[in-house]
Amino acid sequence: MLPEPRHPIAIEDVAGPEWGEWYRMSPARRWAESAKLWAQYLDLGGSLDPEPDTQSPFFDAGAPGSIPAHGRAGVRLIRRGGV
Amino acid sequence: MGGQACVSYGAAEFSRDVDLLLLADGANLSRLETALDDLGAEPVAVPSLDLGALQRGHAIHFRCQAAEGIRLDLMSVLRGVSPFPDLWARRTTLELDGEPIELLALPDLVEAKKTQRDKDWPMIRRLVEASYFDNRDRPTPELVAFWIEQLRTPELLIEVAGRQPESARRSERPAVRAALLGNLAAIDHALTEEQARVREQDRAYWAPLRAELERLRRVR
Repeated sequence: MLPEPRHPIAIEDVAGPEWGEWYRMSPARRWAESAKLWAQYLDLGGSLDPEPDTQSPFFDAGAPGSIPAHGRAGVRLIRRGGV
Repeated sequence: MGGQACVSYGAAEFSRDVDLLLLADGANLSRLETALDDLGAEPVAVPSLDLGALQRGHAIHFRCQAAEGIRLDLMSVLRGVSPFPDLWARRTTLELDGEPIELLALPDLVEAKKTQRDKDWPMIRRLVEASYFDNRDRPTPELVAFWIEQLRTPELLIEVAGRQPESARRSERPAVRAALLGNLAAIDHALTEEQARVREQDRAYWAPLRAELERLRRVR
């Protein structure tokens, strides 16, 4: 039998600090924070269409491309650091 | 049942579509059509809204023009998950701003996420981790059984096996047997094999449905 750990594993040890903070929120707080992210995403022109996912059973290679929510050019990567 | 549920349970920060699970019967379909009209929902893929398609396990996809163009996906059957009436009976209800939000129960959501897609597996890990950290100081037999069968975090599997050795010894899960030995590498290996097996089951489940979708796309 394994001994009882003297110190329980901390959230951050397995999930990292950002997820640790998210786990500790109440569901209502998470919804509120998620709503803020949603608003920012739309402001930045983020698309509401699903990202192409070739592993999805619903993936349709012939489907038209995604459309940004406000009709302008959507969010795109213009520079990637080190990795 | 999808991203919004994962936000609620702590495993996601954001979802840009809404996935709903519904009871596929005639009366409910009629109510659904009224609600879709209110949302300005337009179908965006095959199949179209049809009782038989829902009952066979297809998803029906819409874009809601009266709601910022948000995508709405509807399903009635999920692989490896109980029929809708059972899911409804054990659902989780949140109240937000006085409105009830009905979610799949966490164990059902975890089962529903066991798909062929890479992106669902980190979500499962976070769903169970969040449950564990939120409840490990007040475990119930049901929670312990859930963690033992569903945790995908090797360090936590070792911790829960140490705290609940009798329950862990009853498990037939190879990753739990490795956890009882405190063997991190063996847990990793067992989790990888477990995931590969379940993903193959999901691919086999979807094969005839994908073939049907391809046929529908050709005649669209």
